[in-house]
Amino acid sequence: MKIFFDSLLNVSAPNPDDARRRRVLNILLLGTMLAAIFGLIVIFIGSFSSGGISAPNNQLLLVGTLVSMVGITVIYFVNRLLSGRWAALLFLLLLTLVFAFTDTPQELSNGRSTLFFMLPITISSLILLPEASFLFALLSGGIVAYLAISINQPINSFAIIGFFMLALVSWLSARSLETALKDLRSINTNLDQEVIARTQALTESLDRERVEAGRNQAILNSIADGVIVFDKKWNAILANPAIKGMLDIPFELIINKNFRELIEHPKLAPQSRGLLNAMIEHDTQPVGFRIGWGEKTISVSAAQVYDNRKEGNTNIGTVIVFRDFTREAEVEKLKSTFVAIVSHELRTPLNAILGYAEMFKEAVYGPMSDKQVNMAERIMKNTQRLLGLINDLLDQAQMEAGKLTIHIAPLKPAELLEALHGLMDKTASDKRLRLTSEIDDDLPETLNGDAARLQQILVNLVNNSIKFTDQGEVRVRLLRTADTKWGIEVEDTGQGIPEADLPYIFDTFRQVEGATTRVHGGFGLGLSIVKQLVNLMSGDVKVESKIDSGTKFTITLPLVIP
Amino acid sequence: MSELALIIEDDEDLASIFAEALRGIDYEVEHVADGRKAQERLQNGVAPFIILLDMHLPHISGGDLLQVIKQDSRFEKTTVIITTADARMGDMYRDQADFVMIKPISFVQLRDLTARLKPNK
Repeated sequence: MKIFFDSLLNVSAPNPDDARRRRVLNILLLGTMLAAIFGLIVIFIGSFSSGGISAPNNQLLLVGTLVSMVGITVIYFVNRLLSGRWAALLFLLLLTLVFAFTDTPQELSNGRSTLFFMLPITISSLILLPEASFLFALLSGGIVAYLAISINQPINSFAIIGFFMLALVSWLSARSLETALKDLRSINTNLDQEVIARTQALTESLDRERVEAGRNQAILNSIADGVIVFDKKWNAILANPAIKGMLDIPFELIINKNFRELIEHPKLAPQSRGLLNAMIEHDTQPVGFRIGWGEKTISVSAAQVYDNRKEGNTNIGTVIVFRDFTREAEVEKLKSTFVAIVSHELRTPLNAILGYAEMFKEAVYGPMSDKQVNMAERIMKNTQRLLGLINDLLDQAQMEAGKLTIHIAPLKPAELLEALHGLMDKTASDKRLRLTSEIDDDLPETLNGDAARLQQILVNLVNNSIKFTDQGEVRVRLLRTADTKWGIEVEDTGQGIPEADLPYIFDTFRQVEGATTRVHGGFGLGLSIVKQLVNLMSGDVKVESKIDSGTKFTITLPLVIP
Repeated sequence: MSELALIIEDDEDLASIFAEALRGIDYEVEHVADGRKAQERLQNGVAPFIILLDMHLPHISGGDLLQVIKQDSRFEKTTVIITTADARMGDMYRDQADFVMIKPISFVQLRDLTARLKPNK
């Protein structure tokens, strides 16, 4: 029903105001048509009591009504098919005309029917133009005046003024209605555009997110290492397929499970359990260690995830990367065993060479000439050098395998220096260098440390200094640098180290300027071992150097008094 | 009468050098090159004044021999000197032996140490 009325009443027009006016006109035409049909019925019924339908009065009424109905139909089609403006004008003129003949000139100009003219005035501003009300006020005023004059009556100026006032009110209300509608339409348009823009942006961002999420997942999936992402409570929220193969357990045992459940898994080596538990308990900084998992060795690196969008860089979880380290671990173990065997097998015959040479030197089997003793000494010196190199290699191999440990026990700094002189005085005097040492008064007589490793550090540093010093002295000083720190200084008057090389002197297998290796011998492991030992002791080593005036190594260590 | 020094060492050259060092300061020297034979020797025969014990031996390790020595009251007065190339091994047994010497062991070093151990006559 509504669709039927809508199709009957609505007119499609590009201008929404035009469409609205034409619809209103159609409603009025429909109403008028219904009124005319009603009028016909009334005429037929009334004709029985007033001389039949053919009575002249009734005939006039009938013709008038039928003409009106034809007019209405014509206007309707004009409105639908041609122009709303013209249709409205025709309708209003028809309405005015009909009103002009509905009553006596007397009543129309000055009596009960004068008010009829108000109708086209108000309607015109609605269906034609807001300003049209003035036109119809003028027309209606003219008709009223003409009728009054035609029957010799005074012009009803009050009615005419009333028409114009009504026209003014109609014009104002129609105009404000149109303005309001226009505003509403522009608001609607803006709103529509906004909605379209927002929808588009949302779609785009959803698309982007989907692409990004897909890409991230693809990246994660293609990583050969196993990756698990944990939330703050150590629940696994994300994992990649590689982890499944690495741990050789179903995905369901990993994802959405707490890390503690994984730690309880029987495949995890019992000695690794402590490491993982400690990591969870302490929420440590980035860490890396190895665990045993079944037959495998797996390296574990954990990094905390921080959300820097929130205040204070909130920790939101941990990413753990698992890498299959089985092969590397085997190789390392082999290497370490190999080095241990080699060093043992090398040391034993070298010990024999050393022993026999000493026996020559000590003239165990009878007197020796000076030349023979000197030769024995040279054999001993070279053998010792070879032993030193083997020791360095062994230490390096042990440190690489993480097997070198520090044994802390009470020691006397003075004894360290005493032993140092016993070992190095001869080397220094052979190069005509002085080896001097001192201990600051505020250094405690006894402190905690690994005597053997500290000795090694001192020997390596002093050896290094002697190697690169041709005249002058090597000074060793033990001192207290702070309440909880003590230090070792080894200073020489040697050739110095170029500034550009300073950052690299602690690197493994490196000597400043490759060529000097041949002059001075050694693998370049001495300083690297010093640094690694100092680091194992939670200390720090620094170097200052000036070309042609000398080098100073400063080691700082934590001071613990037993 | 000279004090008896028992050298338990599988390397012939080292054993001969150690023996020479000890003989030079009037020790009577006995040498065993095998862990099992060393165990037999320890269970039968006179308790030596000094035992030079290598840790790395065929059949029975130096560590096991050390337990034998520690558990036998006959060796109460015997000075045990561990000789090893492995510093970690040395650290491990430091508490159970009187001295630990890390190889390479110098002829003079061994001679001086054992000379000091001799009782003053």
